[in-house]
Amino acid sequence: MEYLIGIQGPDYVLVAADNVAASSIIQMKHDYDKMFKLSEKILLLCVGEAGDTVQFAEYIQKNVQLYKMRNGYELSPSAAANFTRKNLADYLRSRTPYHVNLLLAGYDESDGPGLFYMDYMASLAKAPFAAHGYGAFLTLSIMDRYYRPDLTRDEAMDLLKKCIAELSRRFILNLPSFNVRVIDKDGIHDMEKITLGTK
Amino acid sequence: MKDKSSCSRRKLLAHCTLSKMALASVLSSDCADFSSDYRQPFAFGCGSGQNEVEHEAVPEASLSFCVKNSLLAGDEDGVERKIEFLHGTTTLAFKFQHGVIVAVDSRATAGSYIASQTVKKVIEINPYLLGTMAGGAADCSFWERLLARQCRIYELRNKERISVAAASKLLANMVYQYKGMGLSMGTMVCGWDKRGPGLYYVDSEGNRVCGDLFAVGSGSMYAYGVMDSGLRHDLTVEEACELGRRAIYQATYRDAYSGGQVNLYHVHGEGWTRISQDDVLMLHQQYKEQA
Amino acid sequence: MKDYHYTGAVENRFSPYAFNGGTVLAVAGEDFAIVASDTRLSEGYSIHSRDSPKCYKLTDTTVIGCSGFHGDCLTLTKIIDARLKMYKHSNNKTMTSGAIAAMLSTILYSRRFFPYYVYNIIGGLDEEGKGAVYSFDPVGSYQRDTYKAGGSASAMLQPLLDNQIGFKNMEGVQHVPLTREKAVQLVKDVFISAAERDVYTGDALRICIITKEGIKEETIPLRKD
Repeated sequence: MEYLIGIQGPDYVLVAADNVAASSIIQMKHDYDKMFKLSEKILLLCVGEAGDTVQFAEYIQKNVQLYKMRNGYELSPSAAANFTRKNLADYLRSRTPYHVNLLLAGYDESDGPGLFYMDYMASLAKAPFAAHGYGAFLTLSIMDRYYRPDLTRDEAMDLLKKCIAELSRRFILNLPSFNVRVIDKDGIHDMEKITLGTK
Repeated sequence: MKDKSSCSRRKLLAHCTLSKMALASVLSSDCADFSSDYRQPFAFGCGSGQNEVEHEAVPEASLSFCVKNSLLAGDEDGVERKIEFLHGTTTLAFKFQHGVIVAVDSRATAGSYIASQTVKKVIEINPYLLGTMAGGAADCSFWERLLARQCRIYELRNKERISVAAASKLLANMVYQYKGMGLSMGTMVCGWDKRGPGLYYVDSEGNRVCGDLFAVGSGSMYAYGVMDSGLRHDLTVEEACELGRRAIYQATYRDAYSGGQVNLYHVHGEGWTRISQDDVLMLHQQYKEQA
Repeated sequence: MKDYHYTGAVENRFSPYAFNGGTVLAVAGEDFAIVASDTRLSEGYSIHSRDSPKCYKLTDTTVIGCSGFHGDCLTLTKIIDARLKMYKHSNNKTMTSGAIAAMLSTILYSRRFFPYYVYNIIGGLDEEGKGAVYSFDPVGSYQRDTYKAGGSASAMLQPLLDNQIGFKNMEGVQHVPLTREKAVQLVKDVFISAAERDVYTGDALRICIITKEGIKEETIPLRKD
């Protein structure tokens, strides 16, 4: 039901997440932020089992922050992604696995922008674009069709809007609004929320 | 990471002996110790140095199987063995300009039998915090009692009242430890702190969300219907109380598992006050006359 | 056909629970409390005992009625008795009914994931000498009532008590306080009626009347078929 998406461009990563917090069939909240700021230039987007999402994301968040305090420098996006994956993998083989699907987006001075796809089975892949949730079935093909590595920010935003328009057209559930953020060399920037017709 | 976990645990260990004094007589002896202070197996327990405190807590073996199957399954003799209690419920709480209104019904059911019509589903955690009850009655009252203790300990340690956000997170973290083991609890933590009115929904699934309006329980859909069509931020206290009362009443009218009385509370800057307790039978007559 | 197909792991867990029937009832008055139970102990179709009352005296002002799984009833009452002794030795006073109720709640909840299969009702006098009834579910949720029936025939007793003691859904009646004589008579009547229709209730009725003078017990025969 939940939806996450990320699109990487030449010098930025664009990410979006829906705003719904649901409990069974009821939408409890319409302005829920599913993004966790791991550092100045890393965002973790998290969906999945109730409770697990926040507990796991905050756990990763605090440990990434702790790493910076200890060592005086931050984890790079790929290091943070591998750290996250290792934790997820270890918990997967424990009695209490976390059922969370993640996107990790960040910008690194040397590596440039990075987008990482992770699922609850602790697979990790670096991808130019990625999506989670049922919405991914509808929108991955759109991105396959229209994505170019040299996408400008406006073009990426148009692509994102195209994906969300497809969701509102074909997906049975109503996802009324989406948080949108861009990460580039200057850090994380909040973009205008994308809201759809109803509510 | 390991350092962090062991150091925080050491600190917590010191606290736990402190906090155990308070309710030790109530909780100790043959009772399992459910103190949440030092048991953080999910968040912090990935290191190796966890033994020192772990064995002091509940023996894992006695907790690791689910009762639901053994008790709820129909047996050969056909005896119905229900231990779940109080599943049908309607509770709601919402924010408006003068604080938070909390309204609940008072029916407890065991299967189709109405076990009680006079349950207090608003739990008075302390003079400025309220919790509501939906799901297992024992689960709600036990964990919210434990929350009350934690809040008091926080006050004694920090010389200031706990925020609603922090209190709700304490509760959410406590029940998250038992996720998947059959706890059933959907509660709204309502209060007033430095940031003004606070309202959080916390459940045994691990959800914890802040919001302006929540309804919980089997009648929640009906309550949402009435609330969404009547809620404004600029309601007067009287209008808000009437809206909450009406929403619960309409839920008891449609939902067979809700009923009894409507209990109403108002949370404001000086804490909470109990506004009213109205029998649904009386409300029915009253609303019929008005119509 | 079906037998040849492997259907996956089948777990047949031993279930250490039985239901032994029995009904308990407690009524609180202005200066007294009554706890009553039948004395039948049964399981399925067979009656194990005709003389097994489910009222247990805890202190001079508190009696508990336990029904459900007899094994757990015995374990639980023994634990309560032990805890009462421990309390008495460390505090040099006996526990009040309210304190016992709070304690029982935590004892029951301590077994949240493997519960005592017992429906408890406590009857006694509170600190002011007024009658008090506390009713419980098997995992420790409790509240104070003025009257409550529990166990196998609870659904038969409770509506009648609602009518006769709670004056529920009656218009234009005077809410007279319950006298001890009326309460005792009512308890007898509801049990005689329950024995008529519930297979797990019968044989005899044990009534404990708690006043500040002490606990008086009475046994009345019920149907034995």
